[in-house]
Amino acid sequence: MKKIITLLSFAASVAAYAQGALVINNYTTYDFRGDLIAHNLISPCYPRVANNTPIIVPADSHVGNGLQLQYENYRVQFINSLYPMAEWSVSTSANTTNVRSWDNNSLLPGGVISSNTKWGTAKFGMVYAGTTTNVPGFSVNISIAGNPCYTYPDYFTTSSGLNSAEMFTITSGSNVTAYLQIY
Amino acid sequence: MKKLFITAVFAALTLASCNNEESAVNTVESMKSPQMENFDKAFKSLGDPQNRPTEEERKRNTSELSDRRKALLVPASKELILSTGITEAEITRKTNGDMSQIIVWATQIYMQKSDEIRKNIKSEK
Repeated sequence: MKKIITLLSFAASVAAYAQGALVINNYTTYDFRGDLIAHNLISPCYPRVANNTPIIVPADSHVGNGLQLQYENYRVQFINSLYPMAEWSVSTSANTTNVRSWDNNSLLPGGVISSNTKWGTAKFGMVYAGTTTNVPGFSVNISIAGNPCYTYPDYFTTSSGLNSAEMFTITSGSNVTAYLQIY
Repeated sequence: MKKLFITAVFAALTLASCNNEESAVNTVESMKSPQMENFDKAFKSLGDPQNRPTEEERKRNTSELSDRRKALLVPASKELILSTGITEAEITRKTNGDMSQIIVWATQIYMQKSDEIRKNIKSEK
């Protein structure tokens, strides 16, 4: 048993390197409601993984109060994250999409899907807290810079300039963490 | 009458438990060290007008946070690492002054500390 646990935790640590963690800091007074997409960064960009139901990160949820969204990988997020995703929509080609449970073998840390996808894009709308009503002018498609698959900008600002959003990575060795910051 | 009394007691208990929950949330915030608070502030400050990505930075073909903006996170990151008893010399030796390594190291310390705070609060209950 101990061996299995050791093996699993080792596998988890390997996956953290491959896929990379994702952190969403929502500093605004609005709720984040939308989709996160991880995909192969080489065209034609498959496999591709997205949440199967909308992700909601409430207003004022960030590392500062410990309420940030944090996904270590497709699997562990269901156990550790404050915003667990039970099912992922996994596309292996333009015509093949399957809904996979978080504990499906294909999503195992270190597996083919995890090893070949990186957090690259988010499509979301900011809504008034606790509602599904969009905040006018605050719907965003955003990608990491240099993304060959989704060529959205990596930075967004509302017309008033009061709110903005950005996506970037911080890389140390093979440890890549993607951040989606919404101010 | 008896029923009414029981209902009142139940309501009071419910209120009390809700109150407790709120104080627990406050405690997580209040138990954070000043170094942790500064680390939070540094991350949030990336959204301040003067710290937002410049035109030039946005033209780059890399997703990596620019060095100018990483530098905004380094002082608070170092402070947080130093607060664990690690010396400046050790930081330099381990990271060679690499900003990303310093930030990632500090992030790990931050997450550990938040987990500890959460555990402490749970065990106090």
